[in-house]
Amino acid sequence: MTTTNPVLAHPASPLKRVTNVTRLHFANPWTTLGLPWIILGVILAGTLTIWWLIFSALSPTERVGALNGTEFGGSSFFIFIYMMVVAIQAISITFPFALGYGVTRRDYYLGSSLAFIILAVIYTTGLTILAAIEKATNGWGMGGSMFAPIYFGDSALGRAYVEFLLLLFFFFVGAAIATVWVRWKATGVTVFFIIVGVLLVGLIALVTFTDSWFVVADTLVDLGIIGVASWSLVITAISAVAGFFLLRRATPRNSA
Amino acid sequence: MTSTIEVHNLTKRFGKLIAVNDVSFSVTENKIYGLLGRNGAGKTTLMQLLTGQEFATKGTISLFGQAPVENAKVLQNTCFIKESQRYPENFRPKDVFTTAPWFFANWDPKFAERLIADFRLPLNRPIKKLSRGQLSSIGVIVGLASRAPLTFFDEPYLGLDAVARHIFYDRLLEDYANHPRTVVLSTHLIDEVSNLLEHVLVIDDGKLIINEDAETLRNRATTVVGMKTAVDTFVGARKVLHRDGIGGLSSVTVAGLNESERRDAKAAGLELSPVSLQQLIIQLTSTDTKEFEVSA
Repeated sequence: MTTTNPVLAHPASPLKRVTNVTRLHFANPWTTLGLPWIILGVILAGTLTIWWLIFSALSPTERVGALNGTEFGGSSFFIFIYMMVVAIQAISITFPFALGYGVTRRDYYLGSSLAFIILAVIYTTGLTILAAIEKATNGWGMGGSMFAPIYFGDSALGRAYVEFLLLLFFFFVGAAIATVWVRWKATGVTVFFIIVGVLLVGLIALVTFTDSWFVVADTLVDLGIIGVASWSLVITAISAVAGFFLLRRATPRNSA
Repeated sequence: MTSTIEVHNLTKRFGKLIAVNDVSFSVTENKIYGLLGRNGAGKTTLMQLLTGQEFATKGTISLFGQAPVENAKVLQNTCFIKESQRYPENFRPKDVFTTAPWFFANWDPKFAERLIADFRLPLNRPIKKLSRGQLSSIGVIVGLASRAPLTFFDEPYLGLDAVARHIFYDRLLEDYANHPRTVVLSTHLIDEVSNLLEHVLVIDDGKLIINEDAETLRNRATTVVGMKTAVDTFVGARKVLHRDGIGGLSSVTVAGLNESERRDAKAAGLELSPVSLQQLIIQLTSTDTKEFEVSA
């Protein structure tokens, strides 16, 4: 008896195997692209309606600067949290599916990561375009601000940078949580959050007992939003690498 | 003969549970294998090990001459259709058939189309809203149309009606004749597939208890029917697998008979009938009621 070599006439190239997984995430883009933009659209419509109501109740002189405070709002922030949910959902459901199609964990993770990066680019572009429209129309004609929250700075490029990194942060933290879920199910995720919680409380305690809140505040102010966003890359990278190694030993189980 | 799968002393433990216990066998290229056994016997775990989805505790697996775990070269030759496959959020059957060809180099879109029509599968209905049987038919269609050199079907037809199951058997046989490949089919419906199988692996409680050519296996036991006294005389000290009787008549299943034994039986006025694969496996794997209740 001899053993055969793999018999496919046209085996996929290594890159193709990865991009196939990426395409898989976009095969039905309703959850990843459709729904978030629709929600954003609804929020925008609702916000504009409220602004218009405020506006129409005011005399023309009162209108000037009436919506100045809106730049402190954060009605587009849900996108970031939502992307974490997208990452968790995408990995926990497509992982067992893709493995049945003969995809390796490595190709799966790389392909999914590429999909997340592409999504981050798409959302950053979208938010940047909306912010540009907002600026060009003088805050939708009413001086309001929804897509240029003051926290992200006032240059379009800076905002895009912060948004892109924040999106990456939430995607890869989501991916890491999802791999914990895939490997150890609810128990694992619970333990994970307990550990994260303990670490956070420990950190807060450390800062409090050493009386160094002002140091933290000064550092954050010094860093600025751009600096803080850049530093988030450290956690993003750790999450991405951790997710990779966690998934490499994960097994798809049907039982939730 | 070339072998597609070689397994040596494979063991998989989950804590205290030994799901697969020191199993060794090989699967010959381009044959249809039946992987049979009761619920929880270890069939799914074994298939997950073979496709690199689970990690072995001990032993070696070789697919096309290489270890399958994280081996894209090997794994892209496989297709594993699971009993309760979940699909990505909001997928419609259409999306499954759009994406599957990216992963299966041998995918045949015409064949897929024909199967979709055979199974009357609605393409645009969200998968979440499909019936159990329709859900199973998606898996069956992917498994067949992918034409993967090594295809695993794990209880593929949960909820499929008899007509649909027979479409599956017919299409599998027909397509297998034109495009030979290795198929491993795990199922409870042993009698339905017994004509399909060329080789039978029976796993019970993690152990491989039968690894035989289907034809040989069918001849392994015979039921002898006739007058009780004549049957008893003929059976004598033979190993009895099963015994039944009504009044003066008796029906006894004994281990395989050779030609001269068959002649003797006929001469004694006894009737011989083959034992179905299902009965044979039930008799070979049946344990006492208590154990049955525990595993049920």
